[in-house]
Amino acid sequence: MATRHLFAGLAWARGLLPLVLLLALWQLVFARSSIHFPPPLAWWDSLVAMQKSGLLGEATLATLGSVLSGFLLASACGLAGGLLIGVSRTARRILGPLLEFFRALPPPVIVPVLILWLGYAESLKLLVVVSAAIWPVLLNVSAAITRTEPLLLDVAKSFRLSRAKTIWKIQIPASLPEFFLGMRVALPLAVVVTLLVEILTSLPGIGSLMTQAQRNYQSAQLFGLLVVVGLLGFIISAAFTLIEKGVVGRWQPRH
Amino acid sequence: MTDRVKEAFAEHAPGALAILLLLGAWQWTVQSGRVQFDYLPSPSAILLALWAVTLSGDLLKDTVHTLQATLLGWLIVCVIGITLGAALGYSKTLRNYTLASIELARPLPGVAFVPVALLLFGFSMRTELLVIAIPSLWPILINTMGGVLAIHPRLFDVARMLRFSRVQVFRKILIPAALPSIVVGCRLSLGLALVMAIIAEIVGNPEGLGYAVVREQQAMAPDRMFAYVFAIGILGVVFNAVLQALSRRFVPNPSLAQR
Repeated sequence: MATRHLFAGLAWARGLLPLVLLLALWQLVFARSSIHFPPPLAWWDSLVAMQKSGLLGEATLATLGSVLSGFLLASACGLAGGLLIGVSRTARRILGPLLEFFRALPPPVIVPVLILWLGYAESLKLLVVVSAAIWPVLLNVSAAITRTEPLLLDVAKSFRLSRAKTIWKIQIPASLPEFFLGMRVALPLAVVVTLLVEILTSLPGIGSLMTQAQRNYQSAQLFGLLVVVGLLGFIISAAFTLIEKGVVGRWQPRH
Repeated sequence: MTDRVKEAFAEHAPGALAILLLLGAWQWTVQSGRVQFDYLPSPSAILLALWAVTLSGDLLKDTVHTLQATLLGWLIVCVIGITLGAALGYSKTLRNYTLASIELARPLPGVAFVPVALLLFGFSMRTELLVIAIPSLWPILINTMGGVLAIHPRLFDVARMLRFSRVQVFRKILIPAALPSIVVGCRLSLGLALVMAIIAEIVGNPEGLGYAVVREQQAMAPDRMFAYVFAIGILGVVFNAVLQALSRRFVPNPSLAQR
């Protein structure tokens, strides 16, 4: 078992070859003083320096906190809204066209509007992230609920479940996979929007560190931060996959 | 016929009514001065501003720029993504030696490339194109790869029997059989490209609709800012509709060639 995992890991790792080659080549070709393409070891040095001054850790925590809180809040609101719209035909008819418009509106456009209203406040970050990340969750949940297997609803009817119980025992569990699908789309969106707000407003976070690095031509810092952002995205998405497997797996139909 | 009209009315009337009511309430609140809020223009003011920017030609100019950048970036990405994706789907060796790198690179958020692009290219169209291209590459690449992977192996036997060359296999088997997934990928990418174009314009390239919103925000002209936001939303709705119509048109038989 362990050896099988080892082999699988090795088989996966050979796919890293192009990336490793690229970085090695980069290291060899460009001089440390290069303004546009400083070599990877220089990125590392500047990251270490930033970590020592405490800047990096602080910014990472700020970004991570805003991504997670915004994402969780958006998921909760999206679930609630999706349930309402999915369960009630009337709500769907009333809100449908409005939702269509907000879904088509690219989320970053909301940022300048909210800046004008709220100024550069910390609450701005959260609000923007939620207003951008809520849509995939909401739309997926409402679609899943309108498409609930009719047989399941018949079961509810023959057990004489109340409306609330039907929703709680049947429709919510049945829409769980779609809920997670929506969250899977919402998660990278939360990262993107958080970074965007930080870049635009210089609120503390990795995004504003990147803008500062770019303005000061600290390109080694900038590339280092890009790697940090990539790792952060990778870790968040991997953690989400684990949680998804744990939760959705429990409700999967057993054959 | 009348039943269908009635049905359509029952379906759409509540939504239209809700929008009208919302707009009415908004107009009334602002006009009656009940809410002291400097940066919330009334719907009528927004409409007037929309009319003004349409007449002055600003709206057209900005829209054209955004659409140009979006389509150009998308075309570049289509060529690269379909070629790479098809090659990746076709060759297992290639997959073995690249997939992990792709998995690591893919979650990199597109916005993070804005400062990098700015460092390399300054405030320019090239910055915008780079910011558009990197994130919108992935849906096309992944979908094309998936489409090619899902082709029934028998089709390749046919190709061997007909002694197709590699190029012929590509053109006559791979691309047509994988077309439905390729179209899906292209559609996702185009939607993403529009969003990324607007992001790039907000942060990087001072042109187009995205920049217009920021420009009006900084000019403290909320009515024109909302006019642009509204225009972008409409553009998004139109984009979605066109994309859906096109993908229905271009995928004649739903994945007959797939397993």
